[in-house]
Amino acid sequence: MINRPDNHDLLMEARQVLLNSLTPELTGARKYEALMIANVMSMAIRELGQSEQAKVEEADQAVSTFLEARSQPNPNVEGETSLAEAIRKRRLDGREPALRDVLRTLTEARLGINSPGYLKR
Amino acid sequence: MSELAEVFNQFIVHQSGARSAKVIAFNKLSGGAIQDNFGLSLDIEGGVQSGLQEFVVRQDAPSGIAESLSRPEEFRVLEAAFKAGVTVPKPLWLCEDLDVSGQLFYVMTLAGGSASPRQLVKSDLTAEQRCIIVRRLGAELAKLHTVRPPMRSLDFLTLPDQGDAALSRVATYRRHLQEIAEPHPVLEWALNWLEDNTPEPGPTVLCHCDFRTGNYMMAGEKLTAILDWEFAAWSDPAEDLGWFFSRSWRFGANEREAGGVGEKRDFLDGYREAGGTDIDSAAVSYWEVMALMRWAIIALQQARRHISGEQRSLELALTGRMVAKMEFDLLTQIQELEDNQ
Repeated sequence: MINRPDNHDLLMEARQVLLNSLTPELTGARKYEALMIANVMSMAIRELGQSEQAKVEEADQAVSTFLEARSQPNPNVEGETSLAEAIRKRRLDGREPALRDVLRTLTEARLGINSPGYLKR
Repeated sequence: MSELAEVFNQFIVHQSGARSAKVIAFNKLSGGAIQDNFGLSLDIEGGVQSGLQEFVVRQDAPSGIAESLSRPEEFRVLEAAFKAGVTVPKPLWLCEDLDVSGQLFYVMTLAGGSASPRQLVKSDLTAEQRCIIVRRLGAELAKLHTVRPPMRSLDFLTLPDQGDAALSRVATYRRHLQEIAEPHPVLEWALNWLEDNTPEPGPTVLCHCDFRTGNYMMAGEKLTAILDWEFAAWSDPAEDLGWFFSRSWRFGANEREAGGVGEKRDFLDGYREAGGTDIDSAAVSYWEVMALMRWAIIALQQARRHISGEQRSLELALTGRMVAKMEFDLLTQIQELEDNQ
């Protein structure tokens, strides 16, 4: 089904209205709430973005590849759960650089959506 | 509101031995999901507080957090800190009779100034002023850390398991993490690291456990009060230092490691000169990692309150999305510590 403008476009426009027209009229707690809403909209916009989605898929793939190479149980949809459990049960060596790389890839993919500015610090 | 003001007014009249008092102003102060804070100005006739007086009444809110202290416990901690010479609002009277206002509350003096972290961090201070502020904060913490167990009035505070505060915290956070539905491999990994790299335990002292920029009041460059004592516990002094220095509490001024305000070295000098224990810098760095873990766990718990429907809130929901920052900092800081070894 074609439904235009798409979600990405709608959210971008709505955020502009919120920030440019509404927020300047607000003060104190109301302004803070408006800025929180703008922040949520930014996350949703990024979550719909192709490059961010590609990073999330890459991170999920990195987890799968890592677990398979170490013969860890890896139900396809629950890679992160398996990884967390393998670490908690000390079945993986926490000092291993490849493990740290996977953890960093996951975290960076998540930050790319939540707070991309944080990665540049 | 005015009825409540009158309730507090009558309580203060009775406690202070006044003949009478009149409410001049009463307002709810900002901050605190766990408790309500009210500002109360009274014109008092007679008794030990005669004249125009400003108080803060701190009362349990209907929804508290199980792990924080009750108001009577907090009052006793505040008394202990006050006696140790820490700059706190003077604790005056505790009311444990639920018939008075419907909640437990206590009354303390009003401290002037602002606790706003952004205001302080962004203010235009000279290097010397910054040095003075953080040295003072270090000295305050050193005074608090002179309070040691056993202490009868603080017997409700738990002691670290086998005298090892770090391992006690790791066990607690691991338990909390298991209660969170979604997986957090970075936090699992960091908990293992914290378990495997514990420093030599320090002495057990009274710790504030939320000593950070945003929880003390400043009037200009002058410290007027250290607030928010509801997480106080017997712990390792390095826990308070690590929490204060944590990246999470620099409010964007990352280059100023002491709370976004000044230099770590100046804070530690103030701490040592006021009689604080000599704490190994590696132990402080370790507890900075622990601080990131603790904040991540708190953020997950806050998000869970939203997700479960217990307290739907945009702010709590967004806190859940902040956890990736703490995870990023954990990965970075642990790597840096290992690289510098």
